[in-house]
Amino acid sequence: MADSPEEIYKSIKKIKIVGLLLGVFTIATVLLSFWELPTHSLNILVGMILATFKAGLVALIFMHLNHESKMIYKILAFTIALAFALFFLFVFSAHDPLVFSGLYDSNQ
Amino acid sequence: MDIPYTVTARPDTGLYNAKVGIWLFLASEVMLFGGLFSSYIFLRVGADYHWPVHELNVTLGFVNTLVLIFSSVTVLLAWANLKLRKIGQFKMYLAITILCALTFMVIKSFEYRAKFSHYAVKLTDGTFLTGHLEDGYEIKFGEASKFTLTIYAQNSGIKADPVNYVLPLIEGEAPKFKTEAGDEITLTKATFQELQKDALVKAEKAGKSTGTIKLTALTPVTIHAKPSKILNYTDTTISFLDGTVAEGKLLDDKMTLTVDGVDARSVPDAENSLAWNNHYLGESWKKAFIANRDHAEEEFKTKYPSRDPLKSATHQKEAYYLHIESSTPPAAEGEAHGEGHKAEAKMEEHSEAHAEHSGHGPKVTLEKKDIAFWSNYTPKLNTYYAIYFTLTGLHGLHVVGGAIVLTYFLLFDGKMLREDPERLANRVEVGGLFWHFVDLVWIFLFPLLYLL
Repeated sequence: MADSPEEIYKSIKKIKIVGLLLGVFTIATVLLSFWELPTHSLNILVGMILATFKAGLVALIFMHLNHESKMIYKILAFTIALAFALFFLFVFSAHDPLVFSGLYDSNQ
Repeated sequence: MDIPYTVTARPDTGLYNAKVGIWLFLASEVMLFGGLFSSYIFLRVGADYHWPVHELNVTLGFVNTLVLIFSSVTVLLAWANLKLRKIGQFKMYLAITILCALTFMVIKSFEYRAKFSHYAVKLTDGTFLTGHLEDGYEIKFGEASKFTLTIYAQNSGIKADPVNYVLPLIEGEAPKFKTEAGDEITLTKATFQELQKDALVKAEKAGKSTGTIKLTALTPVTIHAKPSKILNYTDTTISFLDGTVAEGKLLDDKMTLTVDGVDARSVPDAENSLAWNNHYLGESWKKAFIANRDHAEEEFKTKYPSRDPLKSATHQKEAYYLHIESSTPPAAEGEAHGEGHKAEAKMEEHSEAHAEHSGHGPKVTLEKKDIAFWSNYTPKLNTYYAIYFTLTGLHGLHVVGGAIVLTYFLLFDGKMLREDPERLANRVEVGGLFWHFVDLVWIFLFPLLYLL
């Protein structure tokens, strides 16, 4: 954590650069979405990698996670692992015996 | 009483208390949004329709992303300036952050409003017509004179209340009714309560759990009702939300839609979609659709010769979702899709398509038998909009919550600013951490909902 005036002035500069980078990567994400990659899944994958990179910048620089107390890392390690696991729960649905009847069943 | 470790770090954790608190809170927030993102994945993987890509207003989403990034920078600058004891700059940057929050919410409200007033009508063959119900949509039911009300002796989900659920839908002045006993009454809360009592006494004597009130309007009435204001209807009866049933004649249940798009992605044979029926959009729009589709396919083949067009969500949308911006189809030799494209559609006589034309898109009058489903762009429409409103709504609440906290620091922490600025700096840092989290969530929401 920046505490001395010198460190704070330095961090202000860093904050502005990261802000600018985030803006640039946002433009890149938008442009990428209009660029046809071989499959749409690839578009999603690259888009998510860019978003994760942007989120990483926010977490590391803006939220100071690049130099925080160990205690916070311990809290976050569990959280991130569990949240990440949630994103892959859908793989179990591949063997789901239920047949999706469709939201727009014309007989409803 | 002084609360310890609000300014200095606790020796055991190495952190001041509020920081431990905010990180524990943010950890729970990660799980909350993590669960919702997981739901998003499930819904997308299981969707039995074309998941919307670039369907939301990308420009507004993009501007909102920049606004949030900018506010993340300004909240940090506010904190840094407070640490440097530059009070004026601290206040200025905090005020800018709050203004950014307001801007974000105003833009979001424009987006929501546009969705609430935009409709999608699914025809029985799977075609979606999108557009606006400029004159609203009402069921018109006439010659209604016999009304039957069911009164339940015990509490029931439906409770007869014709004063609130039936009378407001009757055209003109409230009519007079004749009861079974032959009395002429005006239906009010008091007269209805008396009728209700009598019906229950009769039911009790007969050993039944429900009583019935039959009323006859002295002069037959006409009913105008939005579909949400009634339970259902047939050609000869209409049921109201309170369970009251009226007999009469269905006069009109046609829907007039000002069309701004035809989505034929789910139709096996798009060229024979119901949308091109002469009493709907007609042959000339069909030709415009075919010209647009063929152009998109040709363009895709030229650009990506080795790729399967069926696997391209954006191509499918461009080829099979015709956006309509004028009341008439592109004329012969006109440009239907970008510069250089020669639309094959030839403008035909307007009379062949019985669609009226408004200033925006063509107006079509849809018959109920052709409508499978209709809704405005709300969670009712599909699972995409359900998760869109859930995620952005919850995120919006976080923006409002964060803005309230920051406003409190700006307006009501003056004493702390004078007497203990370091403690206020810690408060701003904690508020800022929450604000960055709000930004971080949006960084994922924007591409997932708007772009991909």
